[in-house]
Amino acid sequence: MAIVAETSRFSKVSRPVLAWIVGLLFFFPIFWMILTSFKTDADAVKPEFLLFFTPTLDNYLNMTENYDYWRFATNSVITSVFATLFTLFVGIPCAYAMAFNPSRATKDVLMWMLSTKMLPAAAVLYPMTFLTKSLGIFDTHFLIVLVLSLINLPIVVWMLFTYFKEIPKDIIEAGKMDGVNTWGEVKEILIPLAWGGIASTALLCFIFCWNEAYWTVRLTTTEAATLSKLIEGNRAPEGLFFGRLSAVSAAAVGPIIVLGWFCQKQLVQGLTFGAVK
Amino acid sequence: MSDRKLPRLLQTPAVVLLLIWMLIPLGMTLYFSFIRYVLNSLRRPEWTSPSLSNWRGFGNYQFVLNNKDFLFAIQNSLVIVCSILFLTVILGVLIAVLINKSFPGQGIVRVLLISPFFVMPAVNAVLWINMILDPVLGLQGLAVGGINGVITSLQNAPGVGWFFSLWPQLEPISFRATQTSAYAVIIMVTWQWTPFAVLIFMTSLQSEDQQQKEAAVLDGASTWSQFRFLTLPHLSRPIAIVVMIQAIFHLSLYAEIEIVSRGNGNKNLPYLIGEFANNNIGAASATGIFAVILANIVAIFLLRMIGKTLME
Repeated sequence: MAIVAETSRFSKVSRPVLAWIVGLLFFFPIFWMILTSFKTDADAVKPEFLLFFTPTLDNYLNMTENYDYWRFATNSVITSVFATLFTLFVGIPCAYAMAFNPSRATKDVLMWMLSTKMLPAAAVLYPMTFLTKSLGIFDTHFLIVLVLSLINLPIVVWMLFTYFKEIPKDIIEAGKMDGVNTWGEVKEILIPLAWGGIASTALLCFIFCWNEAYWTVRLTTTEAATLSKLIEGNRAPEGLFFGRLSAVSAAAVGPIIVLGWFCQKQLVQGLTFGAVK
Repeated sequence: MSDRKLPRLLQTPAVVLLLIWMLIPLGMTLYFSFIRYVLNSLRRPEWTSPSLSNWRGFGNYQFVLNNKDFLFAIQNSLVIVCSILFLTVILGVLIAVLINKSFPGQGIVRVLLISPFFVMPAVNAVLWINMILDPVLGLQGLAVGGINGVITSLQNAPGVGWFFSLWPQLEPISFRATQTSAYAVIIMVTWQWTPFAVLIFMTSLQSEDQQQKEAAVLDGASTWSQFRFLTLPHLSRPIAIVVMIQAIFHLSLYAEIEIVSRGNGNKNLPYLIGEFANNNIGAASATGIFAVILANIVAIFLLRMIGKTLME
């Protein structure tokens, strides 16, 4: 290792400096949004780079009083959690079967699953609205959970499949010898071994659910509306309400960003689809 | 139960659900694309509900093909997707290489870097177009004003003043305009998805063969040729993955386009479908079928590229 350890000045000084600059640059828009959310609307549009000002919580208070933030937030949590659970519930057995008992069709099934993600949502929005309204499930938690599950299922199956493939078959075989049945295999051997992969898959699925806007905005009105809908209704045009806008935005993305920070390591694993080694 | 049946049984729920999810709406879209179906038609009320007696054959497809926005929307879809892919992969590789070695505060920098990936697309668009890219109220206006101020003050500087007096005053750019709104979308999506690329490349770099690198250093390989002949080939698989996932997500970009310009000069196929769907469901459905075809063409390319490596 000693040979590779660079001693050049770039490595010692420039690299950290450059890295910090890049990191701060990427974070800056989020920082600016959070900063603006504590400004009055008058301060927020001042044509100067206002870093120091008298912070106010008005925007947040206004938001919880007038926009019913908590209802949207609760809906986001409920639908994302249940959709993630349901996706895993359907996805784990499927990925398990594909990884441990692959048939000739497995590859095609996987490809086909991914191709359902390429169906443009806009193309089928109208039929879906029509259908869900006539079934009477429009704007229900049930519908949103179902839709979120279905749009994320292909990615989840892919991720789980790549994790499960990593597990040595011998371990499962040994379990079979000991007379463990299939359910036992999944519960006692597979899930504990692939726990990291399952957790990171769940995390990514949750993030995609939370951020999903197209379907959740268009298939809800009030009952099951999530934070995406709150943003959609409040993207106050022409910059007159930057303070308010920032508060709503920060409150919508805040929870998921913090979650992302805590679960960073898991996420790195999860995002790689197990294929990066 | 036999060894063959159980695996199939376990796959069934997922396969059936996805099949329904695909077939029913797609079937309806296909059906609507062949009939006259207009939501508001006072003159021909029979067109306002779907019925086989309104059969139009390929009329909707012809109508869409003759629409002046159609080809533009396809082009623009591809321009946006390809630009974002190009930028995120290049930036992703550079940043991943930059932060791969440990340095003080590496963990914090990583946290800062990945944050944009968690931001909702709608928030992303609202934030960028209003507070950052807006020529008057956004930071762009401030930045341009600042640069102009610096140039003006340098013009009075002794000695070099003549040089700076040749410089033009910068004008803020309106990113809601016809010619520039696609750039705004590219900028904001690149900001959001570069962290994704960085994360994947970084993970991959950590598993790079260090002995090989040491050998290369001993052989006197320059940093550049190490990067070119060792790191880049090592990254080819993760690059393929990044390209595939992102292409899937960006072909259906919608929120960003709507928020930036309401499609003004910057339509993509999903947006064009949305516009048609305000009234002409037949045309919207026909456009949808075109979008499905486009997505499948892209998919074939992508799957060729990546299918093998993933199944190994």
